[in-house]
Amino acid sequence: MSLQDQLGAYLTRIWDQPARVTTISRIPGGASRETYRFDVEVGGETRGLILRRDPVGSLIDTERKLEFLAFRSFHGCGLPVPEAVALEEDGAELERPFFIMSRIDGGKAQSPFTVPPYGDHAAAIGEQFYSHLGQIAAADPLTLPIAEATPAPPLDGCWKAALDYWEGVIDADEEHPQPIVRACIRRLRANPPPPAQKLSVVHGDYRTGNFMHDGAGRIIALLDWEMAHIGDPLEDLGWAMEPLWCYGETDRVSGMLPKAEAIAIWEKASGLTVDPAALAWWDLFASVKGQAIWISSAKEYRAGGLKDPVLGLSGWYTARRQDVILADRLMALEALS
Amino acid sequence: MTPTVPELLLGNFLALMEPPPPESMGDFLQGRVAVTGMIALLSAQEAERGIEARAWENGAIRALLTASAPAWGDRFGEAAKGVDKDLSLAAMDRANAALRRELIALHIAVEQARDAALDTEIRKLYVKMADARRLDLPPLPAG
Repeated sequence: MSLQDQLGAYLTRIWDQPARVTTISRIPGGASRETYRFDVEVGGETRGLILRRDPVGSLIDTERKLEFLAFRSFHGCGLPVPEAVALEEDGAELERPFFIMSRIDGGKAQSPFTVPPYGDHAAAIGEQFYSHLGQIAAADPLTLPIAEATPAPPLDGCWKAALDYWEGVIDADEEHPQPIVRACIRRLRANPPPPAQKLSVVHGDYRTGNFMHDGAGRIIALLDWEMAHIGDPLEDLGWAMEPLWCYGETDRVSGMLPKAEAIAIWEKASGLTVDPAALAWWDLFASVKGQAIWISSAKEYRAGGLKDPVLGLSGWYTARRQDVILADRLMALEALS
Repeated sequence: MTPTVPELLLGNFLALMEPPPPESMGDFLQGRVAVTGMIALLSAQEAERGIEARAWENGAIRALLTASAPAWGDRFGEAAKGVDKDLSLAAMDRANAALRRELIALHIAVEQARDAALDTEIRKLYVKMADARRLDLPPLPAG
């Protein structure tokens, strides 16, 4: 049975009425999940939906329930977040775990490899990008559905939980010794940041390429919540500003705005204040986390029989680029005293 | 090491030889072809510079370990012995892995002893190591 037929059978069962999938096509990107757009006819109407299905191998090992609940936490709250429709953790008719969400048409996600990514709309998109992130940071995570699926660390333990997790990923997946990222991890441990100002939902992958814009300066969908968790809101800010996501740009973060402007927008929307020393810690952490992901993708590429070129490119080219960023950041730190 | 050029080019072949299911035609296939093209482009750079970068890095780490041995222990001097006779990427990566492990051990010892001068020297070496292996992807037009 084709995926199209499997999906139709599943939706017919859960909606308890005939549902026919009329078109389905896989979307590029989304290396940690197979992502498909499809149309389904049900009750005399056509609905546009998105299927996110676990692949055999993936870039990031994540819980689909977490992502599902993250969408559910922020849909309908004034942010452009699609509606979560259905979740099947055991795979049901589709054989692998998946979830379905509503589809937002009429936009595109920009590759971080493009220059300039947003052209004349960079400032307008940057304003929304950092304002939306500030709104996510402002929300109380313990009142949201995502709290069901992820623990809330203590304010002074956010940094350690995050660093322990990603160092553990490197420990598990490293296939060649990586002295640069290891040195960065030691620096982070030796110089912890101050406690988080508050607990927030951390999107986990908030960056260029993980939102859709309409081509006219408006963000229409915040996507890829698969690494969402509860933690220090500065974690997302550091990740969003990671140099990897603004190809060739040195004076604008995310290919959008000068860093100071982006921080000011985020502070206004979140009601929080950015401690430069704390953000510096999360900036370096972001580069460590990135390298952990690329190390994992290299291992997964081999484990998957070399068939997914996105994993290959990530574990090779992107890892090399991340090493350049890490080494430069390490060099910029103060000397030992 | 990270995927080798032979693995990546074999992977390109494998990624394209299997006919995709109907739902993976169109945008997804186009994206996949684009990524295999990027890998081929970057593989040309690795073929051009990869051996030289590894030879340089192995030599630089050996020099640092040799210079550090009198103060930091004979193990570093022992680890630095040898030369890269087999210039295949695989052989040089094996030697590089052993040298990098010793470099990490040396750096940890240096940090624990708060030797700022040698720590800075090692961090400068990291910058050069990363730069020597850098691959340059031409920026893509935003479209």
